[in-house]
Amino acid sequence: MSLAAWVRRARTPAPAPVKREYAFFEPADLFDLDIKDDPEASPVLCCTGDPAGASAFNALWLKRIATSGRYAAAVSVRGQGNTPAAEGGLEARAHDLVQAAVNVPRQAVLIGHKEGAAWAALAAGRYPAAALVLVSPEKVPKQPPTPVGGPPVLIVVAESETQSKEAQTAADAYGITPLTFAGSRDDVFKGAGAEGLLDAILSWLASKKD
Amino acid sequence: MQEYSSQAAYDRGEAVCVIGAGASGLIAVKNLRENGFEVDCYERDTVLGGLWNPQNQHSPLYPNTHLVTSRSQTEIPDFPMPDDWPDYPSASQMLTYLTAYAKHFGLSEHIWYGSEISAIEPVEGSRFEVVVKPAAGNAARRLRYAAVIVATGHHWSPNLPSYPGLDQFRGSVLHSSQLKDPSRLRGKHVLVIGGGNSGADIACEAAVNAASCVHSVRRGSWHLPKYLGGEPADYALARLGSRPKFLRRFLTDRLLKGPASLAARMGVAAEGRPSAEEPVRNGRYMEHVGDGSIQRRGEVARFDGFDVSFADGAEMRPDLVVLATGYRPKFTSVEPRLLGIEGDSPYPKLYARMFSPRMETLAVAGLVEPGVGVLPIVHWQTHAIAHWLLVRKSDPERAANFRVQVRSESEQDTARPAGSSPRHQLAVDAEVYLASLGRIIDTLEQEPAK
Ligand SMILES: Cc1cc2nc3c(=O)[nH]c(=O)nc-3n(C[C@H](O)[C@H](O)[C@H](O)COP(=O)(O)OP(=O)(O)OC[C@H]3O[C@@H](n4cnc5c(N)ncnc54)[C@H](O)[C@@H]3O)c2cc1C
Ligand SMILES: NC(=O)c1ccc[n+]([C@@H]2O[C@H](COP(=O)([O-])OP(=O)(O)OC[C@H]3O[C@@H](n4cnc5c(N)ncnc54)[C@H](OP(=O)(O)O)[C@@H]3O)[C@@H](O)[C@H]2O)c1
Repeated sequence: MSLAAWVRRARTPAPAPVKREYAFFEPADLFDLDIKDDPEASPVLCCTGDPAGASAFNALWLKRIATSGRYAAAVSVRGQGNTPAAEGGLEARAHDLVQAAVNVPRQAVLIGHKEGAAWAALAAGRYPAAALVLVSPEKVPKQPPTPVGGPPVLIVVAESETQSKEAQTAADAYGITPLTFAGSRDDVFKGAGAEGLLDAILSWLASKKD
Repeated sequence: MQEYSSQAAYDRGEAVCVIGAGASGLIAVKNLRENGFEVDCYERDTVLGGLWNPQNQHSPLYPNTHLVTSRSQTEIPDFPMPDDWPDYPSASQMLTYLTAYAKHFGLSEHIWYGSEISAIEPVEGSRFEVVVKPAAGNAARRLRYAAVIVATGHHWSPNLPSYPGLDQFRGSVLHSSQLKDPSRLRGKHVLVIGGGNSGADIACEAAVNAASCVHSVRRGSWHLPKYLGGEPADYALARLGSRPKFLRRFLTDRLLKGPASLAARMGVAAEGRPSAEEPVRNGRYMEHVGDGSIQRRGEVARFDGFDVSFADGAEMRPDLVVLATGYRPKFTSVEPRLLGIEGDSPYPKLYARMFSPRMETLAVAGLVEPGVGVLPIVHWQTHAIAHWLLVRKSDPERAANFRVQVRSESEQDTARPAGSSPRHQLAVDAEVYLASLGRIIDTLEQEPAK
């Protein structure tokens, strides 16, 4: 975030606060002696454009992320899941995500799915995410803010999406080639495709030491 | 780290030393690490958070200290405070916040507590040898660093006035930083001296807790309520900063009209227009002056036994005198010359309020009084310092040009004193200083010309 961007934001009315739904799972919650909290591994915070919000990640994601030794969390932004609706567009949702991120005990990886990718992209412009992961991104601005702290960025899209305009915009914005996963972009929360996707993200994170 | 002998200095290579683990030191450690530096931070106390931690031996907190700057203007730009906190968080929330910041960014593992830095000595050109004062019975440790950032704060060494007869005064005298227990005010006739934020806050505490409260100030000051036009005052005023200049003055005057006429009615106003001088931000003070629970007086002339006389001839017999006369900057670890301190003045003369005029690898964080939230300013200062250290290593030519720019920024700055009392040496106009920081950062972040 540039100084000028901060000055602008500090002089703009902040979005109305909402009580956010927040789901989390820690390695210790697995009651598995073989799985230890890895102090070197950054926690992960997820969000999705899916109206279910945080609870979408309960079926598979949070537990599987925790299995890799990471604190795993998800948040519902305003109007999703059990978080009340409130005014504000993309910016307000990015604010909700940043507010959730600072609540995570340590510097967090931000994972955004569909429209959630746009919130994550904006949030990473004002919060130094440990890494930024955009899954089947939608509505990511052509020129997203430069992520603060220079985190590694990963874009993952379904095979069927590789030619889509949304995916292309995001890839161009960050100047990286998306990784592809087998399956559909609406099938990311459970099933074999979802497991493959998640494992790809986790091994990328491990390779970046984040 | 391993044990060091007192003779041989342990060489920490390219690592940077940060002195102090208050808000400024913590922000420095985080921003240096984010830019790839190894960092060792030394804190003389056993706790982090600096003056916001009541366990810090030098903490100046007094009963019921709350922020005078609002949450959105005080929080660190890349780590906002929880948005369900009040507009003006308490000192203990501030500590919770700084503790969470340190934990979030894993700063604690880089902090050495109980480690006072007693000296830093330039060695090998641009490097520093840092001397850690020995803990009981041990030898002093010496380590070498590529750079040093001083973040030792300037609100821990009381500025004590002298008055004839003060030494023999028969009542109790405390500096504002020593008033920890509000029960000390109960039932007492209290005299508060000093018209800054501490003086106004403590006078308000005395107004409701003490038997009586007299507030002595030697001149008027600029008073602001905590809210203006339905918004936190600092936010409301900062927003006007983005308006065109001719409108800004008009809108500012309109916003301040009510508080200004109230201040005039109460006889507390400073002469002239509100300046860059730090305002007293207190919503309760005027109410207490208005209902007589705070009585305003001019300057104290002398103390005599149990009595105090004022310059206008009035007298009183206080049980407790609170000297809310502020602080003096004090640097115990750095040779004054390196900070541009000359003559009798305790105030450094730095480039852009942060860079040593003598050593390229020495900088100070947080040595400004911007009249607005300090933490965001320190964030941008340390962002600039970290980038400067990178540029200095990687691109000597750009580094040389940059030094020239910083020097000229500093000359503009000193041309414009931001206040009238000696203590205003550290005052800056936030708008002007941020713009200058912005230019500095832009230069440092430009892609090197190929
Ligand atoms: C009563 C009061 C209220 C305030 N309210 C506000 C407010 O509302 N908003 C705002 O923005 N600002 C406020 N401030 C300003 C405040 O100074 C800053 O907010 C900020 O906390 C300054 O942090 P710092 O790290 O620079 O200094 P400090 O918090 O003083 O920290 C300096 C640290 O350095 C350590 N240290 C000192 N010397 C050495 C040494 N030789 N070796 C090792 N360690 C050393 C000290 O132990 C301390 O921990 C207030 C100040 C006071 C006094
Ligand atoms: N709640 C808060 O957040 C809060 C509370 C307190 C302090 N602070 C901050 O902490 C810093 C220190 O504040 P402070 O109020 O302790 O100190 P300060 O702002 O330096 O104010 C000191 C006051 O004492 C007066 N004074 C100094 N020497 C004197 C003398 N010899 N005789 C008579 N009067 C004398 C000064 O008068 P002159 O103006 O004439 O010099 C001034 O009114 C400031 O940055 C302040 O904003 C914040």
